[in-house]
Amino acid sequence: MTTLSDLEAQATRRAPAFGEHAHILCDNLVRIYKTEGVEVVALQGLDLLIEKGELIAVVGASGSGKSTLLNVLSGLDVPTAGLARVAGMDLLSMTAKDRLRYRRSVVGFIWQQTARNLLPYLTARENVLLPMKLAGKKVTPGRADGLLDLLGVADCAPRRPGQMSGGEQQRVAIAVALANSPEVILADEPTGELDSDTSEEVFGALRRANRELGVTAVIVTHDPLVSEQVDRTVGIRDGRTSSETLRRTSEDGDVIAEEYAVLDRVGRLQLPRDFMNALEMERRVRLELERDHIGVWPAGAGEENGE
Amino acid sequence: MNVWQLVKVHRGAALVLALLSLSASLLLAALPRGYERAYDDAVHGMLGDVSVQVTDLGVTGRPIAPQALLTRPADFENRYEEIAKGLPAQLRRVVVPLGQGTSHFAAKTTGTPLSDRVDGPRRNNQYVDFSWLPGAASRVKWVKGRPPGASSALPRLPGRPDLKDLTVIEIGLVAEVVDEMGLDVGATLLLGNSYPVVAEVTGLYELTDAADPYWEHNGEVTRVVERPIPHSTDNEWLTSGLISDDGLAKLDQRREVSYWWIFGVDRARVAAATAPAMIAEVNDYQRFLGELSGGALGSPLDLHYELLTGLNRVLGDFLVVLRTAETLLYLLLGGLAVVSLGVLALAVQLLTERMRSGLSLVRARGASLAQVVRAGVGVVALAVLPAALAGYGLSYLVPGPSTPLAHVVPVVLTVATLLFATGRLAVAHRRPLKDSRSDLVSARPSPRRIALESLVVLLGVGGAYLMRTRGVASEAQELGVDPFLVLAPAGLALAAGILTLRLYPLPLKLFTRLAGRRPGAVPFLGLTLAARSRGGAALPVLILLPALAVSVFGALVSGAIGDTQSRAAWRDVGAQARIERAAEIPEDVVARVEALPGVTSVLRAGKGNVQVGIGGMRATVLSIDLKDYRELVDGSPLTVPDPPRGLGVPALVSTTLVPYKEIEVGWHTRMTIRNMGRLDELPGLSFPGENLIVMPFDGPKRAGLRTYTNILLVDGDVDRATLERTVGLADAEIETYASALADVQDTPLTGAVTVAFTVATLAMGVYALIAVIVALVIGAADRAKALSFLRTLGLSQQQARTLTVLEVAPLIVLTAVAGLALGLVLPLVIGPGLDLSSFAGLAVTDFPLTFTTPALLAAALTAVSILGAFAHATAGRRVTTALRVGESS
Repeated sequence: MTTLSDLEAQATRRAPAFGEHAHILCDNLVRIYKTEGVEVVALQGLDLLIEKGELIAVVGASGSGKSTLLNVLSGLDVPTAGLARVAGMDLLSMTAKDRLRYRRSVVGFIWQQTARNLLPYLTARENVLLPMKLAGKKVTPGRADGLLDLLGVADCAPRRPGQMSGGEQQRVAIAVALANSPEVILADEPTGELDSDTSEEVFGALRRANRELGVTAVIVTHDPLVSEQVDRTVGIRDGRTSSETLRRTSEDGDVIAEEYAVLDRVGRLQLPRDFMNALEMERRVRLELERDHIGVWPAGAGEENGE
Repeated sequence: MNVWQLVKVHRGAALVLALLSLSASLLLAALPRGYERAYDDAVHGMLGDVSVQVTDLGVTGRPIAPQALLTRPADFENRYEEIAKGLPAQLRRVVVPLGQGTSHFAAKTTGTPLSDRVDGPRRNNQYVDFSWLPGAASRVKWVKGRPPGASSALPRLPGRPDLKDLTVIEIGLVAEVVDEMGLDVGATLLLGNSYPVVAEVTGLYELTDAADPYWEHNGEVTRVVERPIPHSTDNEWLTSGLISDDGLAKLDQRREVSYWWIFGVDRARVAAATAPAMIAEVNDYQRFLGELSGGALGSPLDLHYELLTGLNRVLGDFLVVLRTAETLLYLLLGGLAVVSLGVLALAVQLLTERMRSGLSLVRARGASLAQVVRAGVGVVALAVLPAALAGYGLSYLVPGPSTPLAHVVPVVLTVATLLFATGRLAVAHRRPLKDSRSDLVSARPSPRRIALESLVVLLGVGGAYLMRTRGVASEAQELGVDPFLVLAPAGLALAAGILTLRLYPLPLKLFTRLAGRRPGAVPFLGLTLAARSRGGAALPVLILLPALAVSVFGALVSGAIGDTQSRAAWRDVGAQARIERAAEIPEDVVARVEALPGVTSVLRAGKGNVQVGIGGMRATVLSIDLKDYRELVDGSPLTVPDPPRGLGVPALVSTTLVPYKEIEVGWHTRMTIRNMGRLDELPGLSFPGENLIVMPFDGPKRAGLRTYTNILLVDGDVDRATLERTVGLADAEIETYASALADVQDTPLTGAVTVAFTVATLAMGVYALIAVIVALVIGAADRAKALSFLRTLGLSQQQARTLTVLEVAPLIVLTAVAGLALGLVLPLVIGPGLDLSSFAGLAVTDFPLTFTTPALLAAALTAVSILGAFAHATAGRRVTTALRVGESS
């Protein structure tokens, strides 16, 4: 006989949800900016799963919603609808206090503009110590120096941002983002303003932080240098994840990149625009389930098939 | 976050804020001090204009029982203690102790007739009283005989068998009795009709210092008063003699004796601020003396005390004047406070804008809102607090007593500045990275905001309307300032500010359309930028508008006061100078006056007071050539009617005489004048309300005599002293326009009001300039972006400058127009509630709507502000370079 407590337990027990064990989870994420009756739908049902310790790149055209996604993940912006969870914290239901704690200890981030990452009147060391002070943690200059050393800018510790090169500034910014040992670091085009050599250094620093500290890293980028060196690249189009590129190293040492379209939980799929253009697919397509794949035909072609 | 480090980094903006805070707190703490000092000077001046007898507190005690006689000095001291006990606090503070200043006590008899003289024949109608003045001994010198000594007894008087056992009291008299009353040393007087007493004159004295205010209380012992007896053609002579302590013991209930305790008031200790309390205390003290007389306080029921003082009346008159001055000054102070608060808010905005990027980063990196606000407000406080304190400290260099206002205003200002900073920072950093989407359209004002603004406008206009219809309800006697009088203009200014802010894009759109048709791109662009209403425009508008309104209002009030003062002086004198005498003015004097350098013309006139042959009326008759007089006063506010023409002696007459066609007057001779029209007054030459007859100067000649001159009306630049020297007639009354004007102008309150207006106008002008520059600096970054974008499209450096000026100029010009309009409207609103007569010498009936000064003020302020904008555009950093590829605009 089922008792009341059994029913309660049953009610509270959930079936394993979508991406329950993912470190970063976005499910059907929507963010709408609204002023004066004009709505800008920056995210329209975006899905994303990132495992702990992963290093991924997010790519997409200007206005595709990359920066909005990053702002949502960094706790600076609140999504309109959907589900967003980072390190087990639900970003939609956080109170202001939770949000502050989240920013202090769960995420760290790096902006594109080198100058915007650091306070110009503090030295590199002071900049790294600042988040610790803000979080009310015990200030350990040793840790700051350690971080700067890890990122290869130990010699910049007593210098102010104005006395450093762009690459050095970005690497110090990574150290600042890592100051409070976050679980996730988010970077918005960290190499956007840098030349390729310096970009290499900065990306190297990010990868080192990812590998040595085990921190999950999400990098929004346009830079092929970055996007082609990570294990996974997520493409965003019109506010949704549209494609994923996985890279693995083959037995003979070559890097093999395979591009996938993203299938969401309810089965929606974005076809690459050039595929659609090539076959003049419009409005509706015809699908056919085969044994090991699904065939997609332009509406007209299917009708011809039927004749 | 290290607040000190932030201050160091943003030292420029912090310095601006600090300087503004210093100046505001200095001005707003110093001005009330200055005002209070002027008030005090004014009250001292008003008290100084009247006798100490009026301002001192005199307590009389009249015996109501035989045992009440005070016969020893010690009795007076005891009573002094008793009645001084009841002095309320403020009065006690200003009263000088017994024996100092005019504080003293005395015993005096009144109305004691000289009934007979033992030593010889007596004259009629003489009165000699006794005065016991212990303080007089050191203030007189005996010129004949000796001071009065002990009294004695006279068993019988020769020739008066009805009088036995008389008391002989020795008295000393003022020396002039020898001539005036025929009394001398050795005279023995029988004083009093019933129960007479004998007084023996032992000495004559003169005053060592006739100007000693002590004598104002005891005038009867200093002179002989000769006065006509009512309903009689005879005169009577009165004086009073000093007696010794022993003489005091002989003043019994059969003499009309009264005792006096004078509490000398040290006028310098009377403060304007305590005047209302002192008026109330005089009444309290009167009540106390009543209770004391009635025995309610356990005192013996023997003396009836009464308080004799005019202190409350003088202070009451002063308060009437003070109320107007205070209203004007509060208005100025309020305007200045609002403007300085606005400028401080702008400076805070500048500083917080400068800190914005740093604080945003810190906020995004995990600072709580409290941490960010604490740091930002800390910076503001570090800039504001020491500066405000320094300004407040410096205000102590301005002489004058400190008033609650002088303490409160700087504190309020500082607190308001910090609160504004707190609010601003909290709103700006409530959400981290709020500026992340700056591409969105800026929101229109919400309906709630529009409703609120409409309410403010309605309240402002409604308040002004009420003010206009109601006037000032409170009586002038009522103490303090009508708060409505101060609030209504503030509300009106706020309403005007809101209207300007909301409406100024409308005319600009028209201009933009016009500019759009013209070939040049810069005017069109500039006006378009200006028409884009942005939040940053609010503060400069709210600063410029009240600044200009108050300045214009001040100029109008000053102008009205000045005009009325001038009119009052003209009405007082009737020409640039007037020489008047009861008797004729000799020809040689006239010639000498005409020959004086600076004198351009001299008009002769005759004046007399005559009996009119109708019902025993009296009238002032003037013989003057009105045509010449009109030329003489040309350009003055005086108006002169056309001269009467006709045969015989034509004349203009006042209303009561108008019904009579011919009037018989006896002036020099009996003459008949012919009524040719009406004229009610000729300012300077006649008083309003009296009957007046104005005939041509040769009127007496036409009547068969000759012309008479006892008035000279002088035109030209000549001072009173020169005229007095030249005329050389002791009985001639000489009055000049300049001296009459100086009389009405040289009052402390008038000076205070004028100085306050000047200081406030200057300060507001400077603040308005600062406001424009600070507003430009705040917007500099945004403007630089816009300009650099335009530079890539081919805008020249010069065009960029013009664009900047054009962008701010329309708002400044439109605000100046609104401020000017408000300033011109304010007198209409407040005018009925302001009694400026005490400043002007006459009732200020209307505020002449002179545009010159206000328009000049508005133009100057506008020009200075636009120059400020131009200076900023020219001297500002060269940010107006073209965009390079890759930079965001």
